[in-house]
Amino acid sequence: MDHCPAPIGLGGRDSIESDGIARIALYGKGGIGKSTVASNVSAALADAGYRVMQIGCDPKADSTRLLTGGERIGTVLERMDPEPSGLEDISSVGYGGVLCVECGGPRPGTGCAGRGIMVALETLDRLGATESFKPDAIIYDVLGDVVCGGFAMPIRSGYARDVFIVTSGEAMSLYAAGNIASAVRDLGESGYARLSGVVQNSKGISGEDGLVAAAAAGMGADVVARILRSQTVQDCEAEGVTVVEGRPRSEQAEAYRSLSKTILERAAPSRGDS
Amino acid sequence: MSPVIHPRPNPIVAAMYTLRDMDVDVAVVHGPAGCGFMAARMLEFAGMRVATSGMREKDLIYGGSGPLVETLRSVAERFDPRTVAVVGTCASMIIGDDMAAAIRKADIGRTVFPVDCHGCMGDNTRGAIRAIEAGCAAGIVSPGEAERQKALFRATTEMERRRGLTSREYLQPVPGPTKMAVCRHICDSLREGKRVAAVMLGKKELAYRFADVLAAVDEAGKALGGETFLAANLDPEKGLPRIRGYAREVSSELRARGVEVDAVEGGLDEYAVAGPALKEAVDGFRPDLLVLAGIPHAYPGMGEGDVLITDQPRQLSGYISSGCRYAVGEISSHSMVMGAHSIVPTETGDTLRQTAGLSP
Repeated sequence: MDHCPAPIGLGGRDSIESDGIARIALYGKGGIGKSTVASNVSAALADAGYRVMQIGCDPKADSTRLLTGGERIGTVLERMDPEPSGLEDISSVGYGGVLCVECGGPRPGTGCAGRGIMVALETLDRLGATESFKPDAIIYDVLGDVVCGGFAMPIRSGYARDVFIVTSGEAMSLYAAGNIASAVRDLGESGYARLSGVVQNSKGISGEDGLVAAAAAGMGADVVARILRSQTVQDCEAEGVTVVEGRPRSEQAEAYRSLSKTILERAAPSRGDS
Repeated sequence: MSPVIHPRPNPIVAAMYTLRDMDVDVAVVHGPAGCGFMAARMLEFAGMRVATSGMREKDLIYGGSGPLVETLRSVAERFDPRTVAVVGTCASMIIGDDMAAAIRKADIGRTVFPVDCHGCMGDNTRGAIRAIEAGCAAGIVSPGEAERQKALFRATTEMERRRGLTSREYLQPVPGPTKMAVCRHICDSLREGKRVAAVMLGKKELAYRFADVLAAVDEAGKALGGETFLAANLDPEKGLPRIRGYAREVSSELRARGVEVDAVEGGLDEYAVAGPALKEAVDGFRPDLLVLAGIPHAYPGMGEGDVLITDQPRQLSGYISSGCRYAVGEISSHSMVMGAHSIVPTETGDTLRQTAGLSP
């Protein structure tokens, strides 16, 4: 070994610019459709031949459900005792070979979910997740608001490099988006993630495009994609699959494929630091 | 003022000591196994059992109620206590563990109550006040005594802010000079026939140590001449039963050794407020030299020419840097008086006896 491994919990990867991995975090108000967007983007990237790892950062542990045939998988935190010995102990392989990881966490109203996220991400580090799986892209799907330090963890310490905020045109969703953008900006130190765009997950309210575009501009970002509201999404959710898997020839699937290309371009490690 | 940057006493530990003062049988620290480690050992010497719920990483994530319930059951079985207090820590309080619910769940059928405190509350006395309030709610301290205790803790905090540990941005702990110069100064004064007053402002169990200074000054005076006057906050009718017991024990030992305390003002928990009354009594004696032992800065008008004896190494550096030439430390006193039932000799006292030609 020609250098010491990075100390656990300090991020400290040699350089997130040089490891060739697109590191993407999706944030947004609870229930806005982050997991659906994340899973469809992961599926689309997998179809395009990329190795993808999707990490659900939410105690509900349902981020990757649509990639695993609607099945809940075991979480990292459930498998802490005895200590997991390899990545296979804490992950499942889903649609298109996507490596699915759920951090997990406490029941509502007990313990500290934020600490859970920190420990789960440290565990992935310790098991050398990126080194052994060698992903082209990692997608962190993070619960609702950035309510405490734990939920900011993916933004810090070199975990994610590009943050995309998922929002509809509804006031509460835009309000949450604004809070997330402030958190990213306030944490914005060198080596931390940056806000790289807004994904509009439409609810079909009137004037939605304008509302979202204006809000994005206020955050210093742009709208990278508009996903229309569609019954296809609901149908596929009921079947426990992504639209990309279940209705690959639908317009909706095409929209996710297009979004996945845009996100990957934006998050390409070759893109210079802003 | 810039922030005070030297480490200071901890609200969690202050709560634990206050539980000991209330004669609680067992304190269960709900937090990491190392939290309160040093304090626990001292308190066990003083007769209170201390246990820990020993929280681990998984408890931070999923909540620490499980290990707390198990610890309470183990404590009930092992120690058969009448009263148990569960003391919060940074770890358990940040994640919002419900200590009262865990106590109900453990259902051990004794007087068990939670003390909601942690390390980031600010002054250590806040932890002490939380312990008193919890003890009052549990019925082991009367409302009147609880109010009295809270007022005394607030007075202590104010005293430390004005003249003590929180009055400077940084106080480096110093072991202090040797006791020789100080003891020669006292002996010279006595030989010259001067009037020497020795005052103990003792903080609770520390009276077992600093009372030795009163005894030594008395003995030196009898051997060398001069006039001595002794004053102390040794009123046995003030405070919680345990603290009254300290005052009784120390007073009766002094009496048995032929040491007469000329003025008694305030109880051993009243060190922060007893200074003015003690000073009034001492002023009537018109001393040429003043010896202040225990918490010297609780004595109004403490001056550069006074002999100051403290157990606090940071406090000592504060005294020395403010020009007090005769300040010395009786460092580590605290560990020597935990569980003590008789007066523990001080280095200053023994040096004074030797300097006066007496064998300690």
